[in-house]
Amino acid sequence: MSDYAAAPRPGAFAQALRVAPKVSATLIMLALAAVWLGPIILIVMTSIKSNQAFLAGPFALPTSPTLAPYFSVWASMNFGSLLGNSLLYATVGSALAVLLALVPAFGLSRMEIPGKKIIFALLLTGLMLPQQTVLIPLYDTLRALNLLDTKIGLIIVHGVYGMPAQILILRGFMTTIPREIEKAAYLEGASDFQVFWKVMLPLARPGILVGYTLNFIAIWKEFVFALVFLNNESNFPVTVGMLKLNSDRYMTVFNLPAAGLVISQIPIIILFILTYRQLSGGNFVGAVKG
Amino acid sequence: MPKLLREEQAPAFVAFAREHTFVALFGVALPILVFCTFVGYPIVYTIYLSFFDWNGMTPTKQFIGIANYVTLFHDKYFYVSLVNNFKWLVVTLLFPVTAGFLIAYVMRAKLVYGAAFLRTVVFFPVTMSLVAVGLMFLLILNPVFGAFDDALRAVGLGFLVHEWFGDYHIALYTLAVVSGWAFTGLPMVFYFAGLGDVPKETLDAARIEGAGHFRMMWSVALPQLRPVTAVVVMLTIFESLKAFDLVAVMTKGAPFGTTNVLGYLVYLESFWNSRFGYGATLSVAILVISILLAALVLGRLLRGAFDV
Repeated sequence: MSDYAAAPRPGAFAQALRVAPKVSATLIMLALAAVWLGPIILIVMTSIKSNQAFLAGPFALPTSPTLAPYFSVWASMNFGSLLGNSLLYATVGSALAVLLALVPAFGLSRMEIPGKKIIFALLLTGLMLPQQTVLIPLYDTLRALNLLDTKIGLIIVHGVYGMPAQILILRGFMTTIPREIEKAAYLEGASDFQVFWKVMLPLARPGILVGYTLNFIAIWKEFVFALVFLNNESNFPVTVGMLKLNSDRYMTVFNLPAAGLVISQIPIIILFILTYRQLSGGNFVGAVKG
Repeated sequence: MPKLLREEQAPAFVAFAREHTFVALFGVALPILVFCTFVGYPIVYTIYLSFFDWNGMTPTKQFIGIANYVTLFHDKYFYVSLVNNFKWLVVTLLFPVTAGFLIAYVMRAKLVYGAAFLRTVVFFPVTMSLVAVGLMFLLILNPVFGAFDDALRAVGLGFLVHEWFGDYHIALYTLAVVSGWAFTGLPMVFYFAGLGDVPKETLDAARIEGAGHFRMMWSVALPQLRPVTAVVVMLTIFESLKAFDLVAVMTKGAPFGTTNVLGYLVYLESFWNSRFGYGATLSVAILVISILLAALVLGRLLRGAFDV
C-alpha cells in the first residue's frame, strides 16, 4: 500500500481510497486463511515428502511427491482397525443417541409434560458435565456389567452421553414444524404413536440428519472415555490409537506422523464435504438456542 | 422460576401418563432411567467415593471422612491446575471467542473476500479431534523441524522464538492457544448466525448516523447478540473446564506439572496413581466449580437464552 503514497499524481489519492477496501479485504482473507488453513496445508505437504525432501525444511515444496509415508504408516499403525472401530463407535453410538432422543424431543416440543423444567435442568446437566467427574464410577459400573474394555460398553456410554444434546437439537427442530398436519391426524383419531411415527418422523428428517452428523463428529473426536475404558488395542478408536505417533519411532522424520494425521482425518473430511453447508451455516445454532 | 416441586405435580404426571402413555414411557421414563443410571448415579457415587481411600482394585474401601478434602486444600498441584484452568478460560475468551466474533462480523459486513471459503476454513478444525490437533502442532511447533519458528525468523520476528513446550512460563499458553485455534469456528458460527438475525433497519440506521465499524460492533451488534454471547460463554467455560486431550497428547503436564489442568489431574491420580478416592475428590471440586460458574453465568447472562 505504500506504493500509493509514493505516487503523488493527481487523483492518485482518490484512486487509493477506492482500491484500499479491496486490498484490505484481500489481505484480511489471506491472513485468516494462513492462520487456519496454513498448518493443515503444511501437514499435507509434509506427508507426501520423502525422507530427504523433509530435511529441506518445512516450507520447501515437495518436488517429487510420494505416497510411501502413507503405506508405511498405514501398515505399522494398523490404521484399518483403528478407522473401522471409530466408524463403528460413531455410527452406532450416534444412532443410539438419536433413537433415545426422538420421543423425548417429540414430547417436549408438543406437549405440556408436568415437570418439564426439571427435565430441562437434567438435560443441561448432562450436556455441561465435565466427563472427568464421572470417569471413576462409570469405569466401576462398566466393570460390574462386564462391559469394561468392550466395544458395546463404549457404544452405550457414547449413546447415553449424546442423548441430552440430541434431545435439545431435535426438540428445537421439531418446534419449528407447523402443527397443522398433526392436528388433522389427531382429528382423524390417530394415537400419539401414530402421529410421532407417520407425521413427525418424516418431517423431522433434516433435523435428525443434522443431529446425527454432529453426534458422529463428537464421537469421532472423543478421547477421554475411549482412553480410560479401553485397554485392548483391537478396540481402540483412531484418537487413542494414534497416540503412538507421538513416539521417537515416528517423531524423527515428520512425513510419517503427518501422513498418519491425514489418514485419521479422511473420513471426517468426507463427512465435512457432504454436510458443511448445513453445519458451518449455523443451522444447528437455532436448535441450541431452543 | 416457578416452584419446581409442587404437590399436585405427581398426580398431574399420572394424568399425563394416562393420556399420553407412549410419550410418558419412551419420552420421559426411559430417558430419565438411562440418565440416572449413567449420569445421575455416577455423580452421586463420585461424591460418596470422595470420602474414601480406595486403590480401585480391592473390594473394600476405607472410610476416611474428609481427609481427602484436607489433602486437596494442601495439594500444590491442585492449585496449579486450578489456576491453569482459569488461565485457559481467559485465553479462550480472549482469543477464539473474540476472533470468532470479529471474523463473523467482517464476513457479515462484507469487509472480506471469499466469506464462504473462510467460514469453511475456520470451521474445519472444529471437526478435528484434539488428539489430531495436538499432534499437528507438535510437528509445527517442533524446535528443530517445526514450521512456526522458521516462519517467525523469515519475517524478522526470530526474537519471539521460544521452546513452546519446554519453557514453563509459556507452555500452558501454547496449549490454550492451540485449543483456541481449534475452537474458533464454533463461536464464529454462532455469531455469524446471530448477526444474520440483527434487523437490517437497525444496522442501516446506525450506518446513516455515521457509526464506524467499531461502534457498529460495540454499540449495535453486541447488545443485540447478548443471548448468543451467553451460549458462547457457557460453551467456553465448559470447554475450558474439560481441557484434557491436548494436555494428554502434547505435554502430559510437563514441564514440572506446570501444564496440569484439573481434568488431567483427576485422570493421573485415579488411573496412574491408583488414588481413586482422591481422584473422586478432585472430580467433586470440578463439579462444584462448574456449578458455581454455571450459576454465575446463568444468573447474569443467560436470562432469555434458554427460554423453555
